[in-house]
Amino acid sequence: MTTHRATALKADPRVPPLVVEGLTVRFAGLVALDAVSLTVVPGEIHGLIGPNGAGKSSCFNVVSGVYRAAAGSVRFGDAELTALRPDQIAARGVARTFQNIVLTRGSVAENLMLGRHSITRAGFVASALRLPSAVAEQARHRARAREIAEFVGLGAVFDAPVAMLPYGVRKRVELARALCMEPKLLLLDEPVAGMNTAERVAMSRTIEDIRAVLGISILLVEHDMGLVMRLADEVTVLDFGRRIAAGTPDQVQRDPDVIRAYLGTAHDEPEGGDA
Amino acid sequence: MTTFIQMVINGLALGSVYALMALGFTIIFRAAGTMNFAQGSVMMLGGLLVVRLHDALGFWGALVVAAAITAVFSVLEALLLRAAKRRDLASLAIMTIGFNTVALAELSRQIGVDVLTPGDPWGSRILDLSGITVAQTRVASLVIAGVLIAAFFLAFRYTRWGLSMRASAMDPEAAALMGIRRGRLELSGWAIAGVLAAVAVVFLAAFPNQGLSQTTGEIALAAFPAAIIGGLGNPAGALVGSLLIGVTEAAAGTYQNDLSVLGSGLSLIAPYVVMVVVLLFRPQGLLGAKEVSRV
Amino acid sequence: MAAGLVVLLVMPIYLTGFWLGVGLFSMSAALGAIGLNLLMGTAGQLSLGHAFFVAVGAYGYAWFAGDSGRQGTVDLHGLGLPPVLAFVLAVLLAGLAGVLFSPISGRMRGLYLAVATLALVYIGHHVLLNAKPVTGGFNGRRIPEMEVFGFAFGDGSPDTLLIAGVPFERLERLWYLGLLLVVVGWWLARNLLRGRPGRALSGLRDNELAASVMGVPVARYRAAAFTVSSMYAGAAGVLLGLVYERIVPDSFGIMISINFIAMIVIGGLGSVGGAVAGAVFVSALPLVLGHYAEWLPLVVPAGMEAAGVSPVEASNYLYGLAIIVILVFAPGGLAGTAQSLTARLRRVVRRGEP
Repeated sequence: MTTHRATALKADPRVPPLVVEGLTVRFAGLVALDAVSLTVVPGEIHGLIGPNGAGKSSCFNVVSGVYRAAAGSVRFGDAELTALRPDQIAARGVARTFQNIVLTRGSVAENLMLGRHSITRAGFVASALRLPSAVAEQARHRARAREIAEFVGLGAVFDAPVAMLPYGVRKRVELARALCMEPKLLLLDEPVAGMNTAERVAMSRTIEDIRAVLGISILLVEHDMGLVMRLADEVTVLDFGRRIAAGTPDQVQRDPDVIRAYLGTAHDEPEGGDA
Repeated sequence: MTTFIQMVINGLALGSVYALMALGFTIIFRAAGTMNFAQGSVMMLGGLLVVRLHDALGFWGALVVAAAITAVFSVLEALLLRAAKRRDLASLAIMTIGFNTVALAELSRQIGVDVLTPGDPWGSRILDLSGITVAQTRVASLVIAGVLIAAFFLAFRYTRWGLSMRASAMDPEAAALMGIRRGRLELSGWAIAGVLAAVAVVFLAAFPNQGLSQTTGEIALAAFPAAIIGGLGNPAGALVGSLLIGVTEAAAGTYQNDLSVLGSGLSLIAPYVVMVVVLLFRPQGLLGAKEVSRV
Repeated sequence: MAAGLVVLLVMPIYLTGFWLGVGLFSMSAALGAIGLNLLMGTAGQLSLGHAFFVAVGAYGYAWFAGDSGRQGTVDLHGLGLPPVLAFVLAVLLAGLAGVLFSPISGRMRGLYLAVATLALVYIGHHVLLNAKPVTGGFNGRRIPEMEVFGFAFGDGSPDTLLIAGVPFERLERLWYLGLLLVVVGWWLARNLLRGRPGRALSGLRDNELAASVMGVPVARYRAAAFTVSSMYAGAAGVLLGLVYERIVPDSFGIMISINFIAMIVIGGLGSVGGAVAGAVFVSALPLVLGHYAEWLPLVVPAGMEAAGVSPVEASNYLYGLAIIVILVFAPGGLAGTAQSLTARLRRVVRRGEP
C-alpha cells in the first residue's frame, strides 16, 4: 500500500478503490504496460505521469475497457474490469475523457444527454411511443444535465452546437459529459492539453470542485507538472510501461529515477498539450 | 471421380476469374479506402469493347484496347470520387453506387436483350485429358489469370510500386513524407483494377457461359463476397476467398441434383452462403486482422 | 404543415387511378425509406439488403392472410388469418428476420456489413423462387385484400362508397391506409430520433468507441437499428402488396435496395422528412416518365423499338446522376438544402426588420 497525505479525504461512501495489479498490455510485439500496479483510494486525486510513450493512455484504455489486458487485474469494488466490455464498465461507474475530444454532432445538451445513457432506461418501444415514463425520464435527466453544465461553467452554451465552440470550451463539454455519467471514478486524459494559462487555472479549480463536491475518485493523466503536483494527493510515475515511482507529489518530484526519466525536467514546467 | 476432378478444375478456373475481380477490389480498397460497387460496370464496359472490337482488331488486339480504355474509365471514376464532399466510408461507397447506376444503365441499353460473344480464340472447344473433359476456355482462364495474379503478387512484394502501395496503406502520412505520390499511386491502383476486370469479363462471358448479357454484371457481384471472405484489403485473402467461392459454386452446380431439396439454382447463391458462414465464425474474414483501435 | 395534410386527405377525390397508384407506391417507398434512414442516416450503417425485408413483409402477409389452395401448378399454403392480424404478424416477421441477422449486423460495420447484406437479397431471392408452397415460386402469389372490421380496402364491402360524388374504390380507400401508415411511421421515427435510442445510435455513428465508453452496448444497438429498419421495410412490403395485388420474386432484387439508398441520399441522410421526400422522388419518377413518355423527348415507352431510353432506364440515369451531384455539391440532400435555404431566408428577413 502507498502512503499518502494525511488530509482527510471526504469520499462518497459508495466509491470503492480502484486496484490495478500486475497489469500487462501488449500489442504486436510491443509491451505497452509491464506489470503495473497502482491503487486509487476512494475520493483521492491520483496523478499518472511519465514521459511520452510511457503507457499512460494504455493504462486508461485498459481500465475503460478499450484495450484488452494480456495479464494482471483491475478491480473496482467487486468488479473485475479486465473481463468487461466498455459499456459494462461504464455501468459500473467508471467514466473517462479522451485526449482528442470525441464529441458527437449536435448541441452541448445532446452530448451531455448521451452521457446519461447508462443511467437512463427508456428503450426503443418506450421512446418510439413517447410513453409518459420515457418523456418524464428525458425531462428529469435533461434538467440534471443542465445542472452539471452549470457546475462546470457551460450554462450559457447548453444549447449551442459543439462544432461552433472554441477548443477550451469543448474540453469542458467533454468533462461535463463524463460527469453526466454520475461516475464513481473519473479518468481524465490530459484535461488541460492545448489550453492557455487562464484556462488551465480554471480547469484546475473545476477539478478540485468536482472532488470536493462529489467526493469521487479521479485518475488524472497530465503533462503539466505544476497542475499535477498541485492537485494530486498521490502520483504514480510510468516509464517504458513500468512503474518507476509512486508516492506524494513531493516524494515523486525528488525521486532520482523520476528525474532521470525526464532528463532533468522535473523542475521546469514543460509545455503540456502535445499531440 | 472424374466428375469430382472436373468440378475442382472448373471451380479453380472460376475462382481464378473471380480472383481477378477481387484483387481489383482489394487494390482499390487499399488505395482509396472504399469498396468500388461500380466494378461491375467497369467490367461490362471492358466486355462490350471486346465484343465490338474483336472483328476489327482480332481478339488480342481488342482485349488490349479494351483493357486500356477500361483502365481510363476506372481512373475517371476515381477522379469523380475525389469530388465528393463527405469523405466517410458510406458516402464514398454510395458515390460508387451512383456511378454504377448511371454507367450500368447506359451499358445495359447498349447491350439490350442480346447475348454477345467475346470472340475469344478458344470458342467451344473441349480439352480431353484421359477422360477428364474441360472447356479450353477454362484452361485458358486458369493460365492467364494465374499469370496475372502471380505478376500482381510479385509486383506487390518486390517492386517499388508494391512497396509504396503497402506503405501508403499502412501509414499514409509517413508514406507521403517519404515522397510517395499518394494521388498517383491511388490512380494506378484503379487503373490496374480496370485492366483485371477487362480480362475477367472475357472469361465470365466465354463458353461454357452464355455470353455477355445484361446479367453478366450481376455475376460479377460474387467477387464482393470473395474479397470480404478473405479479409478486406488482403490480396492473399482475396485469392483464397475467390478460389473457395469458385470451387463451392462449381460443386453446387455439379451436385445440384443431390441437393435439390434446397431448391434449384444453388450455384448462384453459393458465394453468399459461404460468405455468411465464414463471417459468422470469423467476422474479420479468413485472413483479416482484428482491428486494434487507438484513441 | 396542416394545410399539406388537408390537401393529402382530399386528393383521392380528384386523382385518377394512375396518380393514386403513384401516390400509393410512393407511400410504400416512404415507409421503407424512413426505416432505412434510421439505419443509414442515424446509425451510419450501409445496407444493401432492404429489398429482402420488403419481400418478407409482402410474402409474410400473403401467407398469413392467404388461403391454401391450388394456383396453376403450385399447391399454395396460407393461414387465412384476419388481414389486420396478418399485417401485424408480417411486420413482426420482418423484424424477426432482422433479429436473426443480428450476429452479423451486430458485429460488423462498414463495408463488411454492406457486402454481407448483399447475401440477404440473393439468398432471399433464391428462397422466394424455391419455397413454392409459401411464395408461389416464379409466378408469385396473390395478395389478399385488407379488411378492418368488415370495411374492405377493395372494391366491395361496402359495394359503393360515394364521397363528394366520387366512387371510393380500392385505390382510394388504400390511400387513407397508406397515409395513416406513413404518418404513424414518421411519428414513431421522430420519437426514436429525439429520444435515448436516437442519441445512442448517433453516438455510435460518430464515434463508436466513445459511445461504448459512455455505456452504449454496441452490438445490441447496431442489431436493434437493423431490426427496426427491417420492420419498416416489412410494413412497406405489405402496403406494396396491397397496392399491386400480386407479388413476384423478381420485384425484390438488388435494384430495389439501391433505389432505397438513392431515396435516402437524395432526401438527405438523417432526416425523416428527407427520407419521405426522397422516396416520393425516386418512386414517382419512372412512373411519371412512363406515363408521359409520348410527350417527352428521348423517353420511349418500355418495350418499344425506337431511338430513346425506356422510362426505367431514364430514371436510373437520373437517380445515379442525382446521387453523384448531391454527394459532390449538396451532401445534405433535399432536406439539408431546404434547411440551409430557410436559415438563409430567416437571416435575410431578420436583417430587413427594423
